[in-house]
Amino acid sequence: MSRPASPGELVVALGQQDYLADRGLATAMFLALSLGRPLLLEGEAGVGKTEAAKALAASFGVELVRLQCYEGIDAGQALYEWDYARQLLHISALSERAAADDRAVEELFGPRFLVERPLLKALRAGAGVVLLIDEIDRADDEFEAFLLEVLSDFQVTVPEIGTIRAEVPPPVIVTSNRTRELHDALKRRCLYHWIDYPTPEREVEIVRARAPEVAGELAAKVTAAVARLRQLDLAKPPGVAETIDWAHALRALGATVLDEASAADTLGAVVKDHDDMLLVRERLGALVGDPAGGNG
Amino acid sequence: MRWSATRRAATDSPDLLGALVALGVELRREGLAVGSGQVIAFARAVAALDPSDRDDVYWAGRASLISRHDDIAAFDRAFRRWAGAARGMTMKVSGELPRLTATEQPDPAGVLRRRAATETDCERGGVASSADALRHKRFADCTAEELAALAVLMARLRLRPPSRRARRTRPSPRGRYPDLRRTVRRSMRSSGEMLDPSWRQRRIRPRRLVLLLDVSGSMAGYSRALLQFAHSASRMGGVPTEVFCFGTRLTRVTVALRHRRPDQALARAAESVVDWEGGTRIGDSVRSFVRDWGRRGMARGAVVVICSDGLDRGEPSALAAEMTRLARLTHRIVWVNPLKGDPRYQPLARGMSAALPFVDDFVSGHDLASLEALSALLPELI
Repeated sequence: MSRPASPGELVVALGQQDYLADRGLATAMFLALSLGRPLLLEGEAGVGKTEAAKALAASFGVELVRLQCYEGIDAGQALYEWDYARQLLHISALSERAAADDRAVEELFGPRFLVERPLLKALRAGAGVVLLIDEIDRADDEFEAFLLEVLSDFQVTVPEIGTIRAEVPPPVIVTSNRTRELHDALKRRCLYHWIDYPTPEREVEIVRARAPEVAGELAAKVTAAVARLRQLDLAKPPGVAETIDWAHALRALGATVLDEASAADTLGAVVKDHDDMLLVRERLGALVGDPAGGNG
Repeated sequence: MRWSATRRAATDSPDLLGALVALGVELRREGLAVGSGQVIAFARAVAALDPSDRDDVYWAGRASLISRHDDIAAFDRAFRRWAGAARGMTMKVSGELPRLTATEQPDPAGVLRRRAATETDCERGGVASSADALRHKRFADCTAEELAALAVLMARLRLRPPSRRARRTRPSPRGRYPDLRRTVRRSMRSSGEMLDPSWRQRRIRPRRLVLLLDVSGSMAGYSRALLQFAHSASRMGGVPTEVFCFGTRLTRVTVALRHRRPDQALARAAESVVDWEGGTRIGDSVRSFVRDWGRRGMARGAVVVICSDGLDRGEPSALAAEMTRLARLTHRIVWVNPLKGDPRYQPLARGMSAALPFVDDFVSGHDLASLEALSALLPELI
């Protein structure tokens, strides 16, 4: 698909992938695309940071290359690695004379034995993919510095092969959960957007888009109940992902309305902390907006 | 949406670029570090959109000029001012906006400087107490000048939290993990024979250090010294450090403390602590730390140092509940209580006795010697 010409077009394109982006997010994504800059997305868990990248890739009809960060991730896991086992087998299969030959060495460190990891794959594919660097705050400082290098020039040098450069930089989405402060240098490279919880009306639309089998009335009730949950002082307030899960769970049990009984059965889809669960169970009646249940 | 899209933005005047730059100036006035690179990105962003649409300009600015959630409120304020000025003055905004009266904030460093200046002359004749006597003087009894002298001594303190094994590895002859890359490389020398396999070992890294400082009224004599201490701690290389202040509520001052110059750093930190010397709600503060920061990963495996006298206005049961959560997340909790410096002190305050069961080490922090003891204790918390 061709690139959108305005944030409005991007909203429509993402909407076709059942991702409802608001004006701010669409503008930030549009700018990231038109300026060729990575987009750093932050927000509470479950507001759709990762989904945004998936929807973007789907709307372009290209592959999503995902690099999930974790502590200790290094260039070998993110960029490229040699297939050592095959290299060793290959070496031992060579005769002594053949091994002394320069060409044998060249072949040993050639494309045949190169294992492509997400970053290299994205650089090679360029605009043919969307690169998602997920939860970058889990990686350590050293990796962030390395990533900064890649994201600045969209090129890397593999000593044995040479420099690989993306002709057209791929769209890059970076997500962070803010467990630690990212380096300013990296932030300066990126555009930034904070994804907020959606408005209740918007959240109903999102649930309807993501769980089309759920009736409109039930979706509205679930969303209202989640909004009340977010007002309770929970250790882990539910995100949009939990709202959708809850709607799915209710549907799976064949519930057509949200009452105390069905809410109690499915509460695990939306409340995921023991203390929170105790707090919410006391207030189930008020939560589902059931007047008979009192106000807890 | 906050801005009415029908109102014409003032950016269709010839001086569009000047107007855009002016927003950067407004942001700097809010205390945000906005570099020219970001302003250029902003200008590019606006050019890619519709400069006459206020919403577009707003979102372009938010995406390109700030990169921190905490800065959104400041951005909104600056944008509102900028948009208002742009409308009223037909875009002659080039740094001539009316200067805003800065809200008066306590400035401990300034206080330090001012008091040091006056007292040096009249009271002490410019001679500080000797470092050794100072080491055992209660912070609460120190003059501003002595506090400044202490700051110099504190800067030498080294806080080394215990280490943990990281996931990242490094080459090592005694390692347990095969280093295939090096092994293959080296086997080339011997025509493919693996004569000498290489190994890797997991690296050792210091644990994260989280300081939660009580800056409420009852701690007034100590909070500045502790903030100074936190500044020294957070300026150490190699140890990831986070600093929070709390009174009635919790404020993160890690970023504010990054400044190289201590007085600037302290002034900035003081500015961000809203309830400087108000009451104390330790339970609520620990809760907001756990919920907003700790659970997301900041407290996991970390050494948390809480500096407070434990005089809590909240419910002791609430504090106990929050300490339970915190203890589950962290590696160790150290409680520094200046009152403990008094040999007659017993932790009878309700808040303190509620928290104590969850504390791994309970130490005093009333003078420099006790903070030195703390710095010696930290590496032992394995």
